[in-house]
Amino acid sequence: MRAFNLIPADERSGASIGAGKSGGSAFVVLGLLGVLAIFALLYGQASRQISSQTAKIATLNTQAQAAQAQAAKLAPYVSFKTLHEQRVQAVDQLVDSRFDWAHAFHELGRVLPLEVALTSLSGTIGSGSGSTSAGADTAAGASKAASAATGATTVAAGSSSAATASSTSVASATPPGSVPTFTLSGCATSQAAVALTLERLRLIDGVSAVTLQSSTKTPGASSGGSGGVCKGPVFAMQITFDPLPTASATSSSSTPSTESASAVTPTTGSPTTAAGGAR
Amino acid sequence: MTGRDRIVIVVLAALAVVAAAWLLMLAPEREKASKVGAEVSTAQAQLTTAESEVNAARSAEAGYPAAYTSLVSLGKAVPTGQEVPSLILQLEQASNRKQVEFSSITSGGGTGSSSSAVAAVAAAGFTQMPFTFVFSGGFFDLYKLFQQVNRFTLRTSSGSVEVSGRLLTIQGVQLTPEASSSSGTPSGQLTGTITATAYVLPASQGVTGGATATSPTGAQTTSSSASSSPATPAVIGAAR
Repeated sequence: MRAFNLIPADERSGASIGAGKSGGSAFVVLGLLGVLAIFALLYGQASRQISSQTAKIATLNTQAQAAQAQAAKLAPYVSFKTLHEQRVQAVDQLVDSRFDWAHAFHELGRVLPLEVALTSLSGTIGSGSGSTSAGADTAAGASKAASAATGATTVAAGSSSAATASSTSVASATPPGSVPTFTLSGCATSQAAVALTLERLRLIDGVSAVTLQSSTKTPGASSGGSGGVCKGPVFAMQITFDPLPTASATSSSSTPSTESASAVTPTTGSPTTAAGGAR
Repeated sequence: MTGRDRIVIVVLAALAVVAAAWLLMLAPEREKASKVGAEVSTAQAQLTTAESEVNAARSAEAGYPAAYTSLVSLGKAVPTGQEVPSLILQLEQASNRKQVEFSSITSGGGTGSSSSAVAAVAAAGFTQMPFTFVFSGGFFDLYKLFQQVNRFTLRTSSGSVEVSGRLLTIQGVQLTPEASSSSGTPSGQLTGTITATAYVLPASQGVTGGATATSPTGAQTTSSSASSSPATPAVIGAAR
């Protein structure tokens, strides 16, 4: 008996299930339509985002323009504030760069021995070893301060009037790094008193070196400088102080030099020693 | 054409349609959306900057009276002009209080100085004015005078600068004993020669930069017409 295939001819030979007469093209078209629908959705979202963002940009720009206009209206106040800060900084710098002469003299009077009388005292602030004159100090100090970037005060252009201030720096007459020196000359009762004076002068606050220039005892009585008679050796010595601090050091310091000077109450006895020494 | 060929062609056509839709429609739109998003960020940043500027400006406006007062006060320490008369009066008052005789004042740094009282320092914001003062008094009185001169412009313990007079930088001091005129013996008095420098604002700057007590120069207020800076008082509280 011969076998007989009951399956219809168009559905034989491994044709896929569901392919139908289109051979599966219908599924491809359906898939294509699905993808295009997703694309349309994404396109719509993007368009909506663009329109909303564009509106937001317009709002933000309007707000920014209004704020800028307000800032421009108040710009003179900002310029004035800048001018004020720069002026304060410049004065601060000058105040901090000063040497505390009062404190130095107080210290000198405190440590000077009774066996010593001063005939002259000269103090200068020099840029180097301390032997320069005050007039030279001014020029040297100016150039030094100009070259010191840390101490310079930059003035930016501000309002119409402040704009004329341009970029400047403040040069102190006693710029940071300057070395104060005192030169003392006087009369002592003995060479031992001169040695004691050298030792005592090293106790002065802020002194870096004390050097003896001369100590000469003449056979006869010599002049004390202003009519007085010096029976002991006549001496000359130099006191070198620490260099003046830089702007950064002074700003970081919590105790200003002027305050330290005013905080110290000089004793009544010691300064009279120095005053008496000059007699 | 077999069924398989038809399927391949349809799939390829579908892919082409998808690619075209992506490239021609969706990708440009998305790119534009991303660009607009970046523009939004930029606009937001601009707004933030502008708002911070406004806040800073409002803060400056609120602090204007205090800043003006402070600047006028600093004008006592560093005036616009040489203000030599007020300097002399300040030193005279200070020396009188300390029982020191104010003997002389020489502008230009004393001996060997130029004829000009003002030594212009090229790189300086403030112009230096060197002086030489001569005082006469005891050591202790001169010491107190130095303190007083320093206190004309003083840094307080709070860190601020207190101004009650001219800012002076002492560069050199020379103390010599005075001889008694009759006997030639020391009188106990000292002659103190002080080389000091005062400072002056540049000619281009006023004490307040042209601002008035009510508003700075250029501020759009009702009093904007008043643009002249107030003159620094010739005599100020030198020794409080």
